[in-house]
Amino acid sequence: MAGILVVAEHFDGAMRDVTLEMIGAAAAVKESLGGPLTVLVIGHEADALADAANRAGVDEIVTVTQVDSHFDPALYEEAACTLAEDRQVRLVLIGHTAAGMAFGPAVAARLGSGFASDVFGLSAEGGEPVATRSGYGGKVSMDLAFPEKPVIVLTLRGATFKAPEEAGSASVQPFTVEFDSVPGAGRHIDYLPAPPADVDIGKAEFILSVGRAVQEDKNLPQFEALAERLCATLGCSRPVADSGWLPKAHQVGQSGTIAANCSLYLALGISGAVQHLAGMKHVDTIIAVNTDPEAPIFNVAHHGACVDIFELAEALEREFN
Amino acid sequence: METRELFWEITSLGHTLFFVVAGAAMAVAAAGVAWHVWRYARARRSPVPVHPWRGFWRMVFDVFSQRTVHRRDRAAGHAHTPIMYGFLLLLAATSIITVEYDISEPFFGFTFWHGTFYLVFSLIADLAGLGLIVGCVYMMWRRWKIRPAKLAYRREYRGETEERPRARAWLRDDALFLWALMLIGVTGFLQEGVRLAMDQPAWGAWSPVGWVLAEIFLGLGMDEAGAAAVRRANWWIHGIAALAFIAAIPWTKAKHIIAVLGSLSTRDALALRRLPKPALAGGVAAEDAESDVGISSIGQFSWKDLLNLDACTKCGRCHEACPATASGAPLSPRDLILDLRSHAARSAFRPGANGPSLIGDVIEAETLWSCRSCGACMEICPVGIEHPPMIVQMRRQLVEDGNMEQQLRDTLDMIANRGNSFGESPRSRGGWTAALEFPVKDVRAEAAENLWFVGDYASYDPRNQDVSRTVARLFRAAGLDFGLLYESERTAGNDVRRVGEEGLFESLAEHNLEAMAAAEQFDAIVTTDPHSYNTIRNEYPDFGETAPIRHYTSVLAELLESGRLTVVKPLGKRVTLHDPCHLGRFNGHYDEPRRVLELIGCELVDMPRCRDNSFCCGAGGGRIWMPDPVGKERPAENRMHEAASLGNLDAFVVCCPKDMTMFEDARKTSGHEDDFVVQDLAELVAEAIDLKSIDLKEVPALVDRITEAAAVRIADAVADRLADRLADTVTERVVSELAERAPTLAAAASQRPAPAADAAEPAPEQSDAAPAAGPWRAAPVSAATLPPYEVPEKDGPRMLVAVKRVGELNPEFAIDEDANTIADEHFEHELNEWDEAALEEALLLTEGLGAGEVVAVTIGPEDAEDTLRRALAKGAHRGVRVWDESLRDADPVTIARVLAGVAAQESPDMVLTGAQSADLGHGATGSALARILGLPHAAVVLGIEWDGGDAMTVTRELEGGMRQQLALPAPALLTVQTGGSTPRYATMRMIKQARKKPIAVVDGAGVGLDQAGAVVRRLYEPPKSGRAAMIEGDAAAVAKAIAEIIRDKRGEV
Repeated sequence: MAGILVVAEHFDGAMRDVTLEMIGAAAAVKESLGGPLTVLVIGHEADALADAANRAGVDEIVTVTQVDSHFDPALYEEAACTLAEDRQVRLVLIGHTAAGMAFGPAVAARLGSGFASDVFGLSAEGGEPVATRSGYGGKVSMDLAFPEKPVIVLTLRGATFKAPEEAGSASVQPFTVEFDSVPGAGRHIDYLPAPPADVDIGKAEFILSVGRAVQEDKNLPQFEALAERLCATLGCSRPVADSGWLPKAHQVGQSGTIAANCSLYLALGISGAVQHLAGMKHVDTIIAVNTDPEAPIFNVAHHGACVDIFELAEALEREFN
Repeated sequence: METRELFWEITSLGHTLFFVVAGAAMAVAAAGVAWHVWRYARARRSPVPVHPWRGFWRMVFDVFSQRTVHRRDRAAGHAHTPIMYGFLLLLAATSIITVEYDISEPFFGFTFWHGTFYLVFSLIADLAGLGLIVGCVYMMWRRWKIRPAKLAYRREYRGETEERPRARAWLRDDALFLWALMLIGVTGFLQEGVRLAMDQPAWGAWSPVGWVLAEIFLGLGMDEAGAAAVRRANWWIHGIAALAFIAAIPWTKAKHIIAVLGSLSTRDALALRRLPKPALAGGVAAEDAESDVGISSIGQFSWKDLLNLDACTKCGRCHEACPATASGAPLSPRDLILDLRSHAARSAFRPGANGPSLIGDVIEAETLWSCRSCGACMEICPVGIEHPPMIVQMRRQLVEDGNMEQQLRDTLDMIANRGNSFGESPRSRGGWTAALEFPVKDVRAEAAENLWFVGDYASYDPRNQDVSRTVARLFRAAGLDFGLLYESERTAGNDVRRVGEEGLFESLAEHNLEAMAAAEQFDAIVTTDPHSYNTIRNEYPDFGETAPIRHYTSVLAELLESGRLTVVKPLGKRVTLHDPCHLGRFNGHYDEPRRVLELIGCELVDMPRCRDNSFCCGAGGGRIWMPDPVGKERPAENRMHEAASLGNLDAFVVCCPKDMTMFEDARKTSGHEDDFVVQDLAELVAEAIDLKSIDLKEVPALVDRITEAAAVRIADAVADRLADRLADTVTERVVSELAERAPTLAAAASQRPAPAADAAEPAPEQSDAAPAAGPWRAAPVSAATLPPYEVPEKDGPRMLVAVKRVGELNPEFAIDEDANTIADEHFEHELNEWDEAALEEALLLTEGLGAGEVVAVTIGPEDAEDTLRRALAKGAHRGVRVWDESLRDADPVTIARVLAGVAAQESPDMVLTGAQSADLGHGATGSALARILGLPHAAVVLGIEWDGGDAMTVTRELEGGMRQQLALPAPALLTVQTGGSTPRYATMRMIKQARKKPIAVVDGAGVGLDQAGAVVRRLYEPPKSGRAAMIEGDAAAVAKAIAEIIRDKRGEV
C-alpha cells in the first residue's frame, strides 16, 4: 500500500509536458509519501514513449499496449484502475486536461478514492498528501486532505509543476490489461485540425491579448490594427474565441495554446481565469490592463493599469504612430 | 346679375356623362375611405387609452394654424399653408356651387350664388387658387431643384446606389400629387380666363387672376372661336382632373388630408414616456398568449398605429432628426413607417397570403435595434405619428426570440441576476457614499424627506460617482434631508423596457415599488438620472403607488432661487447645455437646468440643436448596452462637433449620468479633448457656491470617521499578527509535546485493532500527526438511494441535464477561517455557463428529433429553484431538485452519486452536464457520474450528432483548438464545453411562465454525510506577493508608460 502512479498523457507520438510535470510533482513528495513512483504509459507503441517518461525520480515505467494510440477514456480508466489495484498505490496522478477530465473522476469513482481536481499545489504533511486548488476565479485557495482514504486520485493542472530535467533510471515493465471486455469504449473517427489561422501563439515573442472586455466582434479590428502596429501577435482569452470573434488559434491558455516562446505579454481586458494564466504566467514581462483592480491577472502581471481598454488602444496607436 | 353659367354649352348627354363620372369618382373615394375604416375596425384595439375628443381641438388648432408643418422647415410650412387653405377653400367653393345647383335650386327653388355673395366668393376662390399654385410651384422647386436630403429615398445607410422599386413608386406618388394639384389649379384659371375673355362681365376684376389672364388672351389676339374651343375642351379637362383627384384621395399621398385628422386627434399625450403594456388579443380568440408579447406580424398593430401609417406624408422631418439615421445606422424612421405602410396595405389586400414576414423581410432586426428611443422622430412629426412605441413593440418580439446582440443579452442577464447593468454586486450600490465626509441615511431604517433614487450609472460608474458625491454634498449644504435605498434599489428599468424586455421591466418596477413601500417615511423622490425619473414618474404608476419625483435640476434651481444655496462666485463661464432626451423631450424640463446656469453666472450658448430638437447622445433605448459599429461616427461624436463649432466653450454641461459617460468618451474620440470639458451641472453649482472648502462644522465628524476607519484597520492588522504569533507558539508547543510523547502514541496505535471494513462502524478519530488510512481497498461508489418521486411515462428520448447554481464572489468577501467557509451573503448566484451550453445541446437535439423531453436536475436549496426555472424557461420540460443540508459543500463525486440516484429513476437516454462549473471548476462531476451509471462518456464536447438511435457522433475539444470526432454508443454521458452553440435567451416572462412547469423536490436523505472525496483543511485568499506594479494616470499616461516598457523590452531607446 504505497507508491505513486502517474498516468502518462501523450498525443501524436509525443509525451505531453503535463506528464513530465506530474512526474516532477510526484518526485517532490515521493520521499514523504513513500515510493515507488510508477508511470503508466498506454498506447500502440508504448515502449517507444516509455523513454520520454524516464526522468529523475521515476522508479518504474509500466507499458500497456493498446490497439491504436487514440485516447479512449474507458481504456485509460480500465488500465489505471487495474494497475492501481495491482500495486495498491497511495496516490494516482492524472493531468487536468481534456483527456484527464474524461477519465480521472471516473477512476476516483471506481476506486472510491479521495479526489481533487485541477490541483496546483501538492505537498505531504505527516505522510499524508495535501492538495491545493482554487475556486471562484482564483480568488480563494483551499488545501485539501483525504483522511481515511487508502487511495487518492488527483488531476494536476498543467504548466504549473516543474518537470525534472535529468534522465531517470527506471525499469520498463509491460503490463497486460484486458481491453476487449471494457464496456463503453468509443470509436475514434478523426482528428479535426484547429481552424486554420495565420498566427502561432506558441512561437510568438510579443503577444497582445484581448479578453471579454472587447465586448463585441465589431470591436476587434481596432485591436487587430493595434497588434499590427506594435508588431505583436494577437492573442485572446477563451470567451473571445468561444464567441467566434477570433479563430481558436489565437486563444492563449490551457485549452488554447501555451505562449511558450513569449517574452512580452500585453493583456487587455483579460481578468485572468486560471486556464488563461496557465498559458502565459511564465512570461518574462506581463503588462495587464483591466478596469477591475481586483482582477486575478494582476497577481501574475508585472505591470498593471486600470483604464478603459478602448481609450488605451487609441492612446497606444498614437504612441506608435 | 353677377353670377356665371356652370354648364356652358354642355349637352344633356355631356351633362349626364359628367354626373356619372362625378358619381363614380365619389364612389371610388368613398370606397377607399370605407376600406381604410374597415381595416382599422378589424385591427386590434389601441394598447394605450385614446381620448379623441380631447385630441380633437388640439388637432383643429394644429391643422388650421399649420403649427406642426412650420416647425423646423419654415419654407415648406409657408408653402403648405396656401396649398392647404387653397385646396380647402376651392373644395368649399365647389361644394357651395353643388349645394345650390343640385339641392337648393332643384328642390326648393332657392338660389344664392349671385350678387355680392358671388363677387366675394369669386375673389376668395381666385386667391385660393393662386395660393395653391404658388405653393405647388415652390414645392416643385424644392423637390426637384433644391433637393433637400430628407426627401431622398435612396437608402445610403444600406449602401443603395439607386432607389428601390418601392421608393420609385413613392417618387411617382409625390410627383403625381403635386402635378395633379397644379393641373387642377392651372386648368381652373384657364377656364376662368377664357370665360372672362368671352363674356367680359363688368365684375370681371372680382376674379383678378382670371381677369389678368383674359386680358392677356385678348391682348395676344385670341378670337371668340378660339376661346370657345378652349373653353369647351378645358372644361372637361379641369372637371375630370378634379374628380380624379377626389377619387384618388384615399389611395395616394392625398390620403393624409383625411388620415391626419384622425392621427392628430388620437395622439397619445404620454407616448414614449409611458410605453404600452403588451397588447391583448382584441377579440381574436385564436391568438395564443405568446404572440401577444410583442409585434411579429402586421395584424398585431392597433388601428391607431395603422392610422398613423396612413397619415405619413414622407416629409422627412423624422429622417432628419433621427440620431440613428444621422450616424449612418440602418434605420430611418420615415422609411420604417413607409415600409410598414406598404406592408400593411399589401397584407390587407391579400389577407392570409404567405407574404414576407414583418420582422426580417419588411423590417430588419438591425433596424429595430438601431433606435435610441430618443423620441426625436415622434416629437417633430407634423401628423402625429408615434414611431418609438411601434419599434419597442417589435423589439419585444426580438427579445422573445433572443434575436439580439450578445452584449445586450449578457447585460439583461446581469440585470436579472444582480439588479444592475454593471454586473456589480448589489451590495456595493451604495459604495460611492463611503468617501463622503458624512453618513448618508438609509431610508429603509430611518425616515427622510427625500428618497434619492440613484440609478445604475450614478451608483457604479466612477466618473458619475464623483458627481453623485457632489450632489450629495450640495443637498447637505442646502440642508436637504435625503436617504438612499442602498442595495434594495435596482435598475429602474426605463431602458430595459425600451429594449423590449417587458417582463424584466415589470419585475424591476415591482421590486423597486416594494422596496419603496417597505422603506420608512419619505415625501418625495429625487434623482439625477432622467431615465429613472421618466419611468418612475410616468410608468411606475401603472404598477403601484409612487411618491412625486423631481429631477435634481429642478431641485437645484429651487435651492438656488430660495437662497438655501448661495452663489459666492459667479462663474462667468461660457457653456453649452445638452438637453437629455428623457428630461427635455420626454418630460418638458427644458428651463430648469437653464435657470440653474443663469443663477450661477454662466453664459449659456445653445447649440443649434437644443431643447425639443436636442440630439440624442446615442445611449437611449438600451443602445448603451450595445456596441456601436466601428468606423462610423457615433451620435455623441456628432454632438461634440456641434458643440465645438460654437467656439470658445469652457464646458459642455450635462445633467444625465449616461450623457456624462457618452460625452466624456466622445470628447476624446472626436478630437475635442482640448476644446472644452464635460461637466455635470452639479459640479458647476458646487464651484459657484464654493463647496470645495469643507464646512468647518463638519470637521469634527470627519475626523471621527477618519480615526474610526484607521482604528479598524490597525485593529485588523494587529489581530492578524497576534493570531499568527499565537498560532505559531501554540503549534510549537503542541508539536514539541507530541514529539515527546510520540513513542507511546505510536505504540498505542499499533495496539489498536485495524479499522473494520464495515462502513457502518464509524472510523476512529485520527490525529493529524499520525493519520493513517485503512487497508488498501477499491470501494466503487454507487448511486445514492433517493426517495422515489413521480416520473412521467417516456414519450421519446429523455435527456437529463445537470444544472448548477454557481456562486460568484463579491469583491469584498470574507472567509470564515474557523469554519473554512464563505458565508452565502458574499455570493451572487447564476446558472453555470457550461450547464447552459449543455442545456442548449439537449434542447437542440430534442427539437431536431421532434420528440422527447429535457429534464433539468439541480442539487441545491430552495434558492436554487431560480436557476432551475431559468433552465425550464429556456425549454426544459421539467425539473428535479434534490437537497439535503449535508450536500452544502459536497465534493464532485458525492454530487455525482446524487445525480446517479436521480438518473436511476429517470432512465435517461442521454445525460449531459457542463464540462465544469464556473465557481469551483472541478470539471469532474460528469465523468464521475458516467462511471457510477456505467455509461459510455466523452468529456469537453463541442458538438453532438444523434438521431435518437444506437450510436452518436460527438466532437470533443482538445488542447490547442484541435478537435476529435468519435462515435459513441447510446445512451451516453457527455460533458459539454462552451463555445459550441450559443445558448438561447430566457426572458423574464418566460421565466415567470416556467413557474407552471413541474419541479419534483427530492430529499437528499443525508447522502452528503458519507462524503467520498476530500476535506477542506484550510480556505484562504491566495498570497498576492506577485502584485503588479500599477501604472497610475489616464489612458494617455498609461499608454506612454506601456510604450516605454515595450520599447525598452525590444531594446529600442
